[in-house]
Amino acid sequence: MYNLKELALMDENGKRSDGRGIDELRSIKITVGVVKNADGSAYIEFGKNKIIVAVYGPREVHPKHMALPDRCVLRCRYHMSPFSTDTRKNPAPSRREVEISKVMRESLEPSLILSDYPRAVIDVFVEVLQADGGSRCAGINAASVALADAGINMRDLVSACAAGRLSDNIVLDINDLEDKEGDADMPVAYLPNLEQVTLLQLDGKVTTAQFSECLEKAISGCKSVYEIQKEALMKKYFGNEMELKEEA
Amino acid sequence: MQEIKRRYVIPGDKIIEGNYKPLMNVVKSGNYLVSTRVGIAEAGKDGVKVIPLSGVYIPRVNDLVIGKIIDRSSLSWDVDINACFFAHLPAQDVFGRDFSPAKDDMGRQLSIGDLIIARIVSFDRTRDPMLTVQDKDLGKIPYGEFIKISPTRVPRLIGKRGSMIQTIEQATQTRVIIGQNGIVVVTGRDPDGLSLAAKAIKMVEEESHTTNLTQRVKTLLNVQDPVDPEQPESMNASSSTESSTQPQPDIESSTQPQPDIESSTSNNSKSGSGSKEKHRNDNSEESSNNDSNSDQKEKNQE
Repeated sequence: MYNLKELALMDENGKRSDGRGIDELRSIKITVGVVKNADGSAYIEFGKNKIIVAVYGPREVHPKHMALPDRCVLRCRYHMSPFSTDTRKNPAPSRREVEISKVMRESLEPSLILSDYPRAVIDVFVEVLQADGGSRCAGINAASVALADAGINMRDLVSACAAGRLSDNIVLDINDLEDKEGDADMPVAYLPNLEQVTLLQLDGKVTTAQFSECLEKAISGCKSVYEIQKEALMKKYFGNEMELKEEA
Repeated sequence: MQEIKRRYVIPGDKIIEGNYKPLMNVVKSGNYLVSTRVGIAEAGKDGVKVIPLSGVYIPRVNDLVIGKIIDRSSLSWDVDINACFFAHLPAQDVFGRDFSPAKDDMGRQLSIGDLIIARIVSFDRTRDPMLTVQDKDLGKIPYGEFIKISPTRVPRLIGKRGSMIQTIEQATQTRVIIGQNGIVVVTGRDPDGLSLAAKAIKMVEEESHTTNLTQRVKTLLNVQDPVDPEQPESMNASSSTESSTQPQPDIESSTQPQPDIESSTSNNSKSGSGSKEKHRNDNSEESSNNDSNSDQKEKNQE
């Protein structure tokens, strides 16, 4: 059984179930400004994950008693569509979705300057259209871009990526199969310019050395994701120009 | 102070290292100045700032805004000014100091759904914005074409010393009233002129960060310019750091000073040639809606 599992997750050439190498990310595509009615939005394809994020605000808080006098409230809703998985997912918020909403909010909060918007609220809606493992990381990436698109003051973007353990190998960017059959999964969210970790979860068992390797690998993945986020934002606002051309 | 090259930035980008003063949309992080918004970073004599390209409207005292009455209590109206807070217009401001909720009928002056142009008299972190219509050319807007644009594009729409908006007005025979909150009302008799003006305004919004925009607007409006009134010579002498919030790298407006806003009155003439008063507006813009609601349009006729 063990051999079979190992064979399925990684072949003798070090290739994973979907043909990737140990340090390879899935293909990532981010589009900014896809929801016309939202203040900011983004769509991300992270491997087979397809997620749309819409940001509303800062706006008036309802119910009003939730408002904070000195800063803005950040609300985050992670939701999986009924058709996002192979068997129908009940659209009611599950325990897992409530938890992911909370950890997403906590991973985004440090990047925002919420004290600039007292008595207001920022709503972040994360809708998973298709799930394939690592949807919380993909959701955080898209949410951060959508928040920047909404023009909310931020200290940095948040980039997220998971790493994990398949037998003795520490691999980058765990997919659905590796998440279910692998030995450990560690999603990490990171502020690339400030070099701070805003989310670190671990499901599974790792040694201290493996933990360090896992974290290092996840952070390097976050840095790669950041470049894609940056490119997506630049493309939306400045077209293909990366440098501002001054007129003579 | 060492001048830095203007450049595109996103949140978290390090703009410059050293002891510079952070101005608009810039924070200090260690020894660096870091952008907090997507926009264009530039440094002036006073410090470093980022001209934002997206964001909602944050009210500021003395801004002229166009708002919609959404509710009323016994002493004031609530006004939606396209910001994160509703503004209040006290009934005393309209009826005078002897206003009595028992005697005076507030509905006779302003009813729900009316558009008004007003000035923000007070706003801070602890209180909602308070409006006044006690000034020349402020008050109810009786009719016009309603257009919403991103508040960050307002300075660009106005243009340097009002050049862009004047071009549009003259070419389409309309009057354009612009609120700092990104709401624009166009009035005029000619329906073709109205739709052309609306088209030009949309164009300015969508292409605000591109170069040579004034020329393209003139082409759209079929305007021949014998002598171009705005030469890049007017890289203005006035406060270059404070002035331009608009995104464009276009020199014409990049340093454009305070836009002139034409305010409307409740009694402006139908031809749109009513009294015009130029209001100086500070166009440094903190935040605004992004393009999302830009297409929203509705007619307000009374």
